[in-house]
Amino acid sequence: MISLNYIFDEPITLTNCDLEPIHIPNAIQPHGVLFVFNEENWQILQVSDNTESFLGYAPDDLLTKSLNDIFEPESQHAIASCLAEDFDAVNPLTLNLLNPQNETILFYGIVHRAPDNLLILELENPTADRPDDFFQFYQLTRHTLTKIQGISDLRGLCQLMAEEVRKIIDFDRVMVYRFARDGSGEVIAENKRSDLTSYLGLRFPDTDIPKQAKELYRLNKLRLIPNINYQSEALIPTHCPLTNASPDLSFSVLRSVSPIHIEYLQNMNIGASMSISLLKNNQLWGLIACHHNTPKYLPYQSRTLCEFMGKIMSLELSNKEDNENLDDKIRLKTLQSDFVESIYHADDFVDAVGRDRERLLSLVNATGAAIISNDLVMLFGKTPSENEINQLIDWVVPLLQNNLYYTDSLPKVYPPAVEFKDLACGLIVVSITKMQRNFIVWFRPEVIQTVNWGGNPSKKETMDEEGNIRMSPRKSFEKWQEIVKLKSLPWQPNEIEGIVELRSSIVGIILKKADELASINEQLQRSNNELDAFAYIASHDLKEPLRGIHNYASFLLADYHDKLDIDGVNKLNTLMELTTRMENLINALLHFSRLSRTDLNRNNLDINKLVNNVLDVIKINQSDFQIDIKIPEKMPIIKGDRVLSEEIFVNLISNAIKYNDQPEKRIEIGLLMEKPDWALIEDPCFQQNIPVFYVKDNGIGIREKHLDTIFRIFKRLHAQNKYGGGTGAGLTIVKKIVERHGGQIWVESKYQEGTTFYFTLSGPNEK
Amino acid sequence: MKSEDKPISILVIEDSDEDYEAFMRVVKSLPRTFSIYRCEDGDTALDFLFPEENYREPTIAPCPRLILLDLNLPGTDGREVLATIRSKKELNLMPVVVFTTSFNQKDVNFCYGQGANGYILKPMGISALTDTLHTLFRYWFDFSILPELS
Repeated sequence: MISLNYIFDEPITLTNCDLEPIHIPNAIQPHGVLFVFNEENWQILQVSDNTESFLGYAPDDLLTKSLNDIFEPESQHAIASCLAEDFDAVNPLTLNLLNPQNETILFYGIVHRAPDNLLILELENPTADRPDDFFQFYQLTRHTLTKIQGISDLRGLCQLMAEEVRKIIDFDRVMVYRFARDGSGEVIAENKRSDLTSYLGLRFPDTDIPKQAKELYRLNKLRLIPNINYQSEALIPTHCPLTNASPDLSFSVLRSVSPIHIEYLQNMNIGASMSISLLKNNQLWGLIACHHNTPKYLPYQSRTLCEFMGKIMSLELSNKEDNENLDDKIRLKTLQSDFVESIYHADDFVDAVGRDRERLLSLVNATGAAIISNDLVMLFGKTPSENEINQLIDWVVPLLQNNLYYTDSLPKVYPPAVEFKDLACGLIVVSITKMQRNFIVWFRPEVIQTVNWGGNPSKKETMDEEGNIRMSPRKSFEKWQEIVKLKSLPWQPNEIEGIVELRSSIVGIILKKADELASINEQLQRSNNELDAFAYIASHDLKEPLRGIHNYASFLLADYHDKLDIDGVNKLNTLMELTTRMENLINALLHFSRLSRTDLNRNNLDINKLVNNVLDVIKINQSDFQIDIKIPEKMPIIKGDRVLSEEIFVNLISNAIKYNDQPEKRIEIGLLMEKPDWALIEDPCFQQNIPVFYVKDNGIGIREKHLDTIFRIFKRLHAQNKYGGGTGAGLTIVKKIVERHGGQIWVESKYQEGTTFYFTLSGPNEK
Repeated sequence: MKSEDKPISILVIEDSDEDYEAFMRVVKSLPRTFSIYRCEDGDTALDFLFPEENYREPTIAPCPRLILLDLNLPGTDGREVLATIRSKKELNLMPVVVFTTSFNQKDVNFCYGQGANGYILKPMGISALTDTLHTLFRYWFDFSILPELS
């Protein structure tokens, strides 16, 4: 409940009228009498200043009395039972009051408990009608109910209600006024005296009915101001002795009206006004607003009837509103479920969502769409450029709520969008995953719309006598056309719902994928273990007979050596060489297969030291050659597996020596942070700010056609007996080690001039 | 270099006839006499070491000074044989050297963990095998002092 009493003493203007405590005006309209009374003995605590003319008692007289003193026992009983029950069900009461002359006067009364827990009784003069005539009530409503049943859509319902309510109350104008999401309202049905200007289709800004007034409409379903030029009646005394405050009149039917509202109605040239609240899901949906050009009082019975009509209409709203554009809704729903169905069985959401361009767009009646999946941007229909979309996404990410953002006036919230307003004034962004950059985006173009306001909706400033600027409600309600630009057609709630549903299906796909990946991983783990077992078996079971062959050949040579001729001895020697070679191949294969499965033992490696160790070992073995080794740069300290990293350098440097027939073999081992002039290949690794190592030689080089195959296992470019032989697994193993470190290796070579191997030992994301 | 005339008993647990033949050929070429006992699989080896059936007589089933153990054996495999030897009080001090083709580091660690006294890869070629065995036997029978077994 609103209780901003601190501004109560200030004059109320439009700028602060959202804060005006209109529920505690401390005054009532003069067409009735109000009592505030005590719960225990019904002692009268406050009365309105007009009791003398209505009841014959002066206010001061009444403040000494209890309600029991002025009502007949039967009426006392009615009030008591009303207090014991749900007020709504039993009001109004017919009450008999004894005036000072001891004459009985009949009143209609309403009793209620106010939000501040005070008890309030309001009395009004009866009219000729009898309030409890059920038969007449039934007659009046029966026809209306039958007619409502025959209407299927919302517009028809509103039109009918305007007509029916006007029949009951005979006002000059009855309108059905519907609130939009932004709080503004539009007259969607009207029944009026034929000579009046129509307000149908006019729109009124949010500020015309401030927030707390809307809240009071929600609580209090009927509001009558019989004469807008009334003189209000103050409450005596001004503060209730029980609470020491002005009573809360939220539920009072006589509650006095805000001066701003009165001024507003005066500007409209209205004499009397009545509003019936229309609620949907307990939220204020709209009003049946009734205007009469001259003052007009409505008896209880008509008001009760109108309130009843309002309730009936409230009940019917959801029903009829759901039927609005029913065909469109059904079409959209079918489309959405088809779409969801089609992607549910897909493996990849980008693929599934992007497969049917038409369907993706018609899902929300968009003219353009984009799927963003990490670096990939797929565009459909009319969209801004990839670059513009990426910037838009960066802007929208912090605004996402429940993974969703939408607007129908993008340029207003995101000024760069003015550039592409013809493509994207309407925007929906749905984020698929939090961790990655996965979005689907829809666009709608600008549609220039005309809005008919009931008068210029911007607040008016006027200067008062003291020269203060004061806001006041506008004077004119003439049709005032506004051209609305930089807006698309609004996204409908069912379209947004469809998107939410679509997202959850996509998330389903992704989760399903994750499950599948987990199970593939498990299989992979299993097959890796099998491979391990296989490699082991190969090591033992293949090598054993191989060793046997080798040994038996040597037995033959030893035992039958005098019976064999030179040719026989040569053949046996070849047999032994071949078995030795086969053993080397098996060992290399084993080593390679193990490389991919053993854990890396990453430590800080001083590459200077590491290379020097390697060189020491190699130099011992190659002491008979002239080798010139240069290390121009100081090498860094990096993270890596010592044994495996050494193996890289051993292999590359040995190759550089082995495949070299220059009299002076020159080898350069170095470090690069960017591409040097002499490098031929512009590899992306040069841009990643990670160390690139190289081993460069002046050796025999590699013909270009062989460059692709050198990393293939057991691939040799030369005859077995040339360049010292070898299994042809060295470079394959080097490549594997580099890849295990997350790095890359590549080669460039000029035939007969030399070869350079480049490699990194970390990926772009680690250093 | 004590009592060269008395042959040194060695138990070889080896399933491959060819490997055994190569082994015997090398052993015979060495300048020392050995009495070699061979078991072709793990179960036979355990029966031999823990006399229950076939080798009841001490002359047939003498206590070896060294066991050479192949790992991959039919039936009860070498790892299990090693574990059993080490779990029995009578033999837990017996020198056992694993003599195998497997250079899987897991096997190496496992065997040392179980109390193997050495782990040697079967080399390829007669001369390499001669080198290996010659060195091995010199290590165990010339330089090492062996435990006293009950």
